[in-house]
Amino acid sequence: MRIFVVTLRKLVRRPASFVTLGILIGLLALILIAVAATASQPDAGPGQRQGLLLVTFPGAYTVILSFILGLGGLFAVIYGAAVAGSEWSWGTLKSAVARGESRSRYQLASFAAIALMIGVGMVIAFGAGIAVAIVGANIAVVSTAGLSDSETLGTLPELLGRGWLAIVEEGALGFAIATLARSQLAGIGAGIAFFFGEQFASIFLPDVIKYLPFNAANAVVATPGEGGFSGGGGDGGAVIASLEPNEALLVVVAWLVGALIVSTLFTERAEISG
Amino acid sequence: MTTDGLALATRGLVKRYGTRPALAGLDLSVPSGVVYGFLGPNGAGKTTTMRLLTGLIHPDAGSIEVLGRPFGRTDRHRLFEVGALIESPSFYPYLSGRENLRALAATGARVAATRIEELLELVGLRERAKDKVQTYSLGMKQRLGIAAALLSDPRLLLLDEPANGLDPAGIVAMRETLRHLASAGKTVFVSSHVLGEVQQLADVIGIIASGRLVREGPIEHLLEGEGEVRVRVPAHDLDAARAALAALVSDGDPAPSGADDGWLTVRIETNRAAEVNRALVQAGIYASGLEAGSDLESLFLELTRGDGSGGHEGTFFGVAGGSR
Repeated sequence: MRIFVVTLRKLVRRPASFVTLGILIGLLALILIAVAATASQPDAGPGQRQGLLLVTFPGAYTVILSFILGLGGLFAVIYGAAVAGSEWSWGTLKSAVARGESRSRYQLASFAAIALMIGVGMVIAFGAGIAVAIVGANIAVVSTAGLSDSETLGTLPELLGRGWLAIVEEGALGFAIATLARSQLAGIGAGIAFFFGEQFASIFLPDVIKYLPFNAANAVVATPGEGGFSGGGGDGGAVIASLEPNEALLVVVAWLVGALIVSTLFTERAEISG
Repeated sequence: MTTDGLALATRGLVKRYGTRPALAGLDLSVPSGVVYGFLGPNGAGKTTTMRLLTGLIHPDAGSIEVLGRPFGRTDRHRLFEVGALIESPSFYPYLSGRENLRALAATGARVAATRIEELLELVGLRERAKDKVQTYSLGMKQRLGIAAALLSDPRLLLLDEPANGLDPAGIVAMRETLRHLASAGKTVFVSSHVLGEVQQLADVIGIIASGRLVREGPIEHLLEGEGEVRVRVPAHDLDAARAALAALVSDGDPAPSGADDGWLTVRIETNRAAEVNRALVQAGIYASGLEAGSDLESLFLELTRGDGSGGHEGTFFGVAGGSR
């Protein structure tokens, strides 16, 4: 518990936490406003008008969350990798181990703090996204009556919970990759490569891709059979079949647990130098 | 192994990196309540030893005892009574010195709430404790590293090059602190390249070369018979002085050597300094300086000469070493 609390404090003070969240919210706002402004033009075509779905409630709730899971997934990988990799690069893991701390406990408690930070960040980004979508709806002169749709609001806690699990899984992958790389920069680089590599893998492994971590994460909150708005990271519902949400949830949990086991076992057995 | 009264002991410690042996059967015996100077050329295995002693890496063979009890893979709790500064100090650059100590205090043994402020005071960082570590100088980071090593009031302190980056006042303060800890019954294990510093600080030294211990014991004992007398003579008298002093040296001992800035070194007992002076006067040479003393550097160079670990090998960037 001590390590969890201290890691949480460290993450709150860490510039990467604010920068990551700031960029995610900035991009989300930019896209929502740009789409709303474009779609509201008198000469907008049917395709552009379809963009109004992004600022039309209650559907916007799911779309915004899908966007956060898509682009936010990439950021979660980078964030997880940055935190885990810096422990090796800065030698702070070395100091903890030399004080007799359990390597496994240190890693798991650190990741628990990352998971909580990711959850808080996701909720903040989601709230900011809704606020920007309302602004976008006003720009596009779209009714916001659906904001208080009780049926959708009732499903939000579950959606956010599923989304949190999905994005935490993506953070865990970055955490595991950086742990294996024992380096912040190498971990971030490899995490980004893995993220985009999975999208390219759809060309060669169309039947397998839905079980891979980022696609499974996107499917966790997608409407069955549709896929979600991925912001560049997901399947976009276009080419690749997604898992059913509940099936995707199981796959996500499996990836999450697997990533943590790999991180922990590797750290436990690693020879720490430098 | 018999390790009664030892704070730290290793027996037959072997560590290989691939096929390259870093330690080839290291036997260390560090008595309790002393400052132990751990010396060796670059690549001799000092840092590998420090990493093994703190559980960062694991030996291929041999055993370690920490504070009288075996220390293996599953004995991390032994380190609760050990403080360590391995290689360079490691901190979160975006946190302050105080926050870094707090973060470290959350790991390993529990630390008293007042301990962090005491240590910041001890290492002279109270004024800068709120500043981010990324704004600290090398010496300040080193002081913070020493404070971190002392967090849990350890019985055994392992310090790798603790004087690194410290200014002269900081070195004196560190030396006094470490001596104080030893006088309080704690054991201080210091790895260092600064031989003069170790000579002033350590009670016992161990010299390692090519992954093996080549000499270990109380420093006074080891320096007995390592006496030398140095005389400074005019440059044009060097050859004549060398010839005059050669008669004083016993068979088998090295002849007077070295002429750095006109200094000649004669390896004889220090209580024969007057004989050296007399021999020079009789040869019509008047020394402008005469020093007598034992020298850890001479012992170190003699014991580690030929160490194939990539250490000094008598040269440093192509400049002849081994002389003063």
